[in-house]
This record gives sequence, structure tokens and C-alpha cells, in this order.
Amino acid sequence: MIELRNVTKKFGSFTAVDNISLVVPAGEFFGFLGPNGAGKTTTIKMMAGLFAPTSGQILMNGYDVVKNPIEAKSFTSYVPDQPFLYDKLTGREFLYFIGGLYKMDKKAIAKKIEEVIEHFDIGEWVDKRTEDYSQGMRQRVTIAAALVHEPKAFIIDEPMVGLDPKSAKIVRETLKMMARQGVSIFMSTHSLPTAEELCDRVGFIKDGRLVFLGTQESLQTYKQKFDGKFESLFLELTK
Amino acid sequence: MSTFFHILKYKLLSFVKATFDRKMVSAVRGIGSLIVFGTFAVAAFALSFAITRFVEPQVGLEVFHRIVSMTFFVLFVSVNMGNIIVSYATLYKSSEVGYLFTKPVSFTQIFILKFLDNFLYSSSTFFLLVFMALLGYGTYFHYALYTDLAVMFFVFMPMLFLSACIGVLILMSLVKVASQFGFRKVVTGLALLYIVIVALFFKFSNPITMLEGAAKFRPGSLASSGSGGGGIMSLLPNNIASNVLYYISKKSPFLAFSETALMLLMTAMMFTVVLYVGKRFYYRTWLMTFEFQAKSNTVKSGQKVKFFDFRKPSRLPSQLEVLVKKEYFQFFRETSQWLHLALLLVLVFVFAISIRNLNVTLRVTEIQTVGYLILYAFAGFLSCSLALRFVFPSISMEGKTFWTQLSAPIKLRKIFFLKLAIGIVLVLLPALLTAVFSNIPFVKMTERRPLLMYFGVYSAFWVTLTLVSLNLGLGGFFANYQEKNPIRVASSQGATLTFLVSLVYLVSLVSIVIIPLRDYFQSLFQFLPFDMSIIVAPGTTLAMLSAGLSAFALVVGYRSLQRDF
Repeated sequence: MIELRNVTKKFGSFTAVDNISLVVPAGEFFGFLGPNGAGKTTTIKMMAGLFAPTSGQILMNGYDVVKNPIEAKSFTSYVPDQPFLYDKLTGREFLYFIGGLYKMDKKAIAKKIEEVIEHFDIGEWVDKRTEDYSQGMRQRVTIAAALVHEPKAFIIDEPMVGLDPKSAKIVRETLKMMARQGVSIFMSTHSLPTAEELCDRVGFIKDGRLVFLGTQESLQTYKQKFDGKFESLFLELTK
Repeated sequence: MSTFFHILKYKLLSFVKATFDRKMVSAVRGIGSLIVFGTFAVAAFALSFAITRFVEPQVGLEVFHRIVSMTFFVLFVSVNMGNIIVSYATLYKSSEVGYLFTKPVSFTQIFILKFLDNFLYSSSTFFLLVFMALLGYGTYFHYALYTDLAVMFFVFMPMLFLSACIGVLILMSLVKVASQFGFRKVVTGLALLYIVIVALFFKFSNPITMLEGAAKFRPGSLASSGSGGGGIMSLLPNNIASNVLYYISKKSPFLAFSETALMLLMTAMMFTVVLYVGKRFYYRTWLMTFEFQAKSNTVKSGQKVKFFDFRKPSRLPSQLEVLVKKEYFQFFRETSQWLHLALLLVLVFVFAISIRNLNVTLRVTEIQTVGYLILYAFAGFLSCSLALRFVFPSISMEGKTFWTQLSAPIKLRKIFFLKLAIGIVLVLLPALLTAVFSNIPFVKMTERRPLLMYFGVYSAFWVTLTLVSLNLGLGGFFANYQEKNPIRVASSQGATLTFLVSLVYLVSLVSIVIIPLRDYFQSLFQFLPFDMSIIVAPGTTLAMLSAGLSAFALVVGYRSLQRDF
């Protein structure tokens, strides 16, 4: 379970995230939407432990990200918006590296790596150093790495950026499958069709504030108030 | 040319905005840098003045300027080597180059931009220190300020520019030749050549021989052929620069002018050659670097199970194991990293071997005290260089990929102290080697009394701990996760600041041990008893200073990891 309690993040006098509270229970697929600069990535970085919240509390599987970071991070996987990898490692070595950071047994890592290599169809180039990878290849390896330790909470920032249609389909199927297996998924995206297709609930953030939080059904009802298009709803909410 | 100046304008704007932004942290850093750089500028002035005032009357104008010429040689070679290594990253690895190649800008303009970028970035601190040292020298010889400025602009800056030109020519030749014979062969050949040069340099000019030799000279004993000897040697840039100073100090302005003109002519000619070579070969050699990379990065080579492989079992705890292996591969798969380390280690090794065979004979307290301290400081300087080059960038080199560790269930102190441990191993081994070898001649001279050896080893431990802590800590504080080139990180403003702090620390150590060392040599040479309690206070002060500085730097560095990423 992912829980945000009155989370605020300020950079000097600028408030990037303003008093956000929400809960993503186990097995729920939550979509986090908003225009550029609304505070999506800042919220996600706080959840991943890369930013410290100015006030409020973030709990991952019941553990506070600030007070019990090790426990909280043990259950969490984070996929950043930009898939930065260590240039001089091969994709496979990177996967081993991530498995080791999560204290996995070597045999378990090897088994899981074979699974994700097959699942993401990356076997052809996973043994090349990542310095020669394209954006899409990097993205696939990053997502594969996030699955190695079988997380309970999955935070993913703009997952479809740079992916070809085939890879995007694999990622969508994977995320849906994870949610069915009881993983809490928190996904930030600009892609409205993706949010509409995958998410059980969505939240809209604008200027750091949560301006809409509801289920897919309430969203469908709400968007009928406009012209029935998700895009119009998005534009209205983020106006 | 308008495109060239257009790009230059925006590069300058970007530099100014990055340097003088309005953030509080930047302002504090800026003021701190200003204070430290200011202090060092003053120190360079004072030191240069003091050395000139002390040495020149002892050895005479000619010998003094030969020593000056040797110092310039070291400066010239340092800038040259620095430019060879740094310019590879600037000219061939920079993403800016790739971007500019897609725009309607000529290859020559891109080449000049990156060449100047590289030269100014890696030499700006040199300019400040060289100018202040020149002021110190000029004060002794009663130079007017405009003379100092003229010498700086028309002699030293061209000399350093000439050095950078030669550096970039060597680099481009290296890339071109490597395409014929293979990168590894050429790099190995160059490394061997460098070993020979360093060995010859130490053979002919190790500091003790020079000091003892200078003590035997008398003023006016050399032929008046300038400061660097006659013949072809007088055309070496270091000799020309030293000759200019020599002739100005000797009140021979015409000869000084002719030497200056020679320097300017040589620099202009070399720059013309660089422009020609750049125009013809820059783009071609840039493409070649991609071929090297493609050839070295294949699926087959990645599938091969290596000696130190992630797939192999390990007795280390899993987090530690993967961090160590990651550091290993990131380091040894980056040519500029292992090559630079190898060159520095060779330098340390040649220095150690050369010093070990030194025959220290003069039983004069002052000479041996100064000689010992020169070796002590030089050994410290080597450790300082190693720490700056490899430890300071270690946190920045995590780059944007640091998210993997910061979002993983691993304690920050584990990440931080692993880097400290690796840094200590890297710096301690050469430091112990130089400490032991540089003490051997003195132990021999002191009828095999091991006190100086014990002190050397004791000091090596503390110096290593402090320099590594300083570089890791301040490297974390000044971390730049955007920069992928470790050499640029190691020559950034923060790195220069750290280097200067490290030098202050080394000077403090020298001043702590100078009196007990003098007393020790005096007791030996005059057959007096030596009171061992004299070394307790300096030994304790050394330990306390080192421990305090290390603790401070480690706290600063560790806290910097807790900042928002």
C-alpha cells in the first residue's frame, strides 16, 4: 500500500507540492496526471526517497520513507522518467547490480533476470554495454530492473516515453498483471488513453494541488459534463 | 565567423549565469571560493617573493633562472599532459559536439570552440597562480606592474597556449594512428614513451641533486647564454620564458623583446598548424572514436564470463559486492580513467625508485632538512594529485544513475564509506611506497636509525586519510551529476578549491615537522643526544589536525548525499 499524508514540498518560497493526501491500496492501479511542472515528478521523487518532503508523511507498505527508508524502499520499485543507466555496465550486469542492492540471492537474481529478459525481449542486446543503447532500450532495461526484486509498490514516472508500440504493449500488460497480483501501482503519465485504459483511479495535480481524485467510473461520469472526451476533461481540470 | 561569435556569446552567457546565479548556496560557495582563491593568490605571491629573495643571492642570476626554467618545464609538461587527457573528452566525447555537427557550423569553428573551451577551462587557475607568482618574482626585481602584465599576456599565456596546441596535436595524431594500429597498442606505446620521459626527467633533475648541485654553484660561474643554455635547447618554450625574465632582470630589454617575439612567433605558428590539422582531421578523427567504441562493445565480449563478474558467486554481502563490482567496471572500462591512473602510478613508481638510489652525502643540517621536506612535500603532492583526480569525482561520477542507489534499500553510509575505503586503498599504497623509498637514503645517511622511516609511514597513513576524506567530502559537496567527464570534475572550481585546501594542509604538516626535523639532523651531525620527547608534540598535532580535517570533510560529504537528488 502507498499512502501520502498531507505531503508538501517547498523549494525556497516556491511550493511544488501542496498538502497532498491519497492512498493507493494493494492491487490498485493509480494514475497521476497533470500538466508539465504541476508537481508529478516531485511527488514521485519524494515517494522514491530522492527528495525529502518539507512536511507530511509518505508510507510504503506502512513504513515511513523518511523515518524507515530501508524498510520502505525494500518493498518499492521506482522507474524514473529518464532511464539513466551505468554506461559501462551491460544490461545484464545492471540487472545483477539492482538485484544485489535489494539483497537478493545470486541464484534468485539469475532466475529472475532470465525471466525479465524473455518477457521484455531484450536478449539480443542485453550483453552489450548500455552506452550504445537507444532511449527505448534503456527504458526497457530500467523497467525490467524494477521487476527483479518483486516489489509490493511500484512507482513509475512516464513509462511510455521512448517506447515503440510493441514495447509499450509489453509494459502495459506487465503493469496490469502486477496490479492483478496485488502490487500497488502509482503511475504518472501524460498519455490520457493509457490512463483511461489501465487505471482504477486517477488523480489530477495542478500547481502542486490535487484538483481531482476519483475512480474510473466517477471520471467517466465527470467527463460527460464536458464533451465526453478525456482530453477536454484534462484541459478543463488543468486550466 | 558570425556563427562562431554567436555560439561563443551563448557559451559565455551560460557560463556567467551558471557562475553567478542568485541561489544562496551558490553565493556562499562563491564567497568561499573567492576567499580561498584570494588566499592562495596571496600565498603564491609571498612564496614566490620569499623563494626568489632567498635563492637568487645564494646561487646567482644565471643559476636561479635555470631553476626557473626547470619549473617552467614542469608547468609546460603539466599543461600539455592535462590538455591531452582533458581534450579527448572535450573534443570527442562531448554531447555538445555531436549537437553542433548537426547544425550548419563548420568543423573548423566547432574545433576552435572546443579547443578554446578546453584550454580556458583547464588553465584558468594556472593563470591566476602564475600571475601572482610572477608578481612576487617581479617585486623582488622591482618590476613595474605593466611589465608583469606584459610578461603575463605576451609570454606566459602564449607559452601555456603553445603547450595546449601541442597537446591537442598529440591527441589527434594518437587517434589517427590508433585507427591504423589499434587503440590499445598506441596507448601502450604512448604510456611507455611517457615512462621514459618521466624516468629521464627524474634522472637529470631530481630535487635533492638539484639542491646539492645549486649549493656548489657560485654566482657568475656560467657562460652568459641566457638562462637555459645555448643551441637548440634555447628554443624550448620554458627556456624562452625564463630567458625573458632573465633579460628583464638583467636590464637588457632588447634581448627580452626578441625572446618575447620568438615565443609569440612559435605560438602563432603552432596554432596555425593546429588549425590546419583541425580542419583536415577533426571530423574524421571524431568519427573514428565511434568505431573504437563499437569495436570494443559487442554482445560476444559481454557474454564472456570475466574474472570479476557479476554472475560469479562472492563471499561479500550482496550490496557490497555489487557496489564494488560496479565501481570496478565503471573504472576499468573507461580508458581515460585506467590510463591516467596507470600513468600516475608509473610516475610514483619511477619517483620512488629514483629516490631510493639517491646518495645523500652532505652533512649540513639546513640542506638535509630542506631536502627531506622537499621529498616529503613532493610525496604528499603525489597523494594529493591522486586523490584529486580519482577520489574527488567519485560521487559526481555516479551521475544521474545515482537514483538506483538512492532509491534502493541501502544505507547511505555504506555507499559513502565504500567510496572512502576504495579511495584509501588507491592512495595509501603509492603513499606508503613513496614514504618508504624516500626515507631509505636518509636512513642510510643516519647510520640506519629508523626514526625517519617510522615517521614517514606514520605520516603516510594520516596524510592519506585526510586527503581522501577531503576529496571525497568536498567532492560530494561540490557534486555535479550532470558532468560525465571525471577529468572536468577534477579540474572544476570545487576541485581546485579542494586542491588548494589540501596544499594548505600539506604546508601545515611541513611547518609542524620542520623544527623537530632540523633538531634531529643537528643532533646527528653534531653527535649530540636527541631528546625523543621533541617528536611527541608534532606527532600528536599532525594526528589531531588530520583527524579533525578528515572528520569535518566526511561530515560535509555525508550530509551532501542526504540532499535532494
